[in-house]
Amino acid sequence: MSPLFATNIYWHLPILIVVISLVYSATRFEQWRSIFVEAFRWGLRMTMFLFAIAALLTVLAYVI
Amino acid sequence: MSSPQRTYSPLAGLLSYLIPGLGQIYEGRVGKGILFMVCLYGLFFFGMYLGEWKNVYLPDSARTNPPPINMPNVATNIYNRIQFAGQFWIGIAAWPAIWQYNDLPVPSEQASSFWHDFQRAPYERRAGPHQGPRTGYEAPFDWPGKTLNEIQAEGDKTWDLAWVYTVIAGVLNVLVIYDAVAGPALGIALEPRRVQKEPAV
Repeated sequence: MSPLFATNIYWHLPILIVVISLVYSATRFEQWRSIFVEAFRWGLRMTMFLFAIAALLTVLAYVI
Repeated sequence: MSSPQRTYSPLAGLLSYLIPGLGQIYEGRVGKGILFMVCLYGLFFFGMYLGEWKNVYLPDSARTNPPPINMPNVATNIYNRIQFAGQFWIGIAAWPAIWQYNDLPVPSEQASSFWHDFQRAPYERRAGPHQGPRTGYEAPFDWPGKTLNEIQAEGDKTWDLAWVYTVIAGVLNVLVIYDAVAGPALGIALEPRRVQKEPAV
């Protein structure tokens, strides 16, 4: 197995994002369709937030 | 149009505290109950597994590690291990830590070392070979297991990530308990409704 897949702890992020967004959305809505739509939105928001932080840190690493 | 009256079910909340999703199942919302149970127990036990079953515990550290202000012993111990304040909300699955904290009887180490140490405050470091009396956080020099310092020194950041799994599971269960008590936060009345097609005449 590639070391990237074997050791990088960031591979846990997709699991956490999916489960957190799904459970959170299920506490806000009752109908499955609404739950999945809301979960997708929250998953997207969290992913974009994390990419934004990663991009910011990458830029700072080059600048500093 | 007025929204329907919200009803409250404290018993369902208690059941969802004990086992995530059980309150929803009790209310007849079986699908959501199973979703909560699988997701939260999945997070919690996978986190414990990643952390070598040594990341859910409440140490009795009030005497050895006093806080800056005067607090009761239990509050001090939670202050010293703040992760447990989140893990506690997963319910029964975190009760062995309370059992161990109160020094209640457990299987002997010879009978089952896993259950003997299950959710018991782990050793932080190993005592030196010629040291005198050990503190509660020091393993005997020849102890075969791994102390927390050894796990963290020999591994990557997985152990630290692992307790995050368990804390997230506990904190999410607070939302699940609310859902069991009072229903979904946005209420059923706010659900987007599908437009019903008129039957063709």
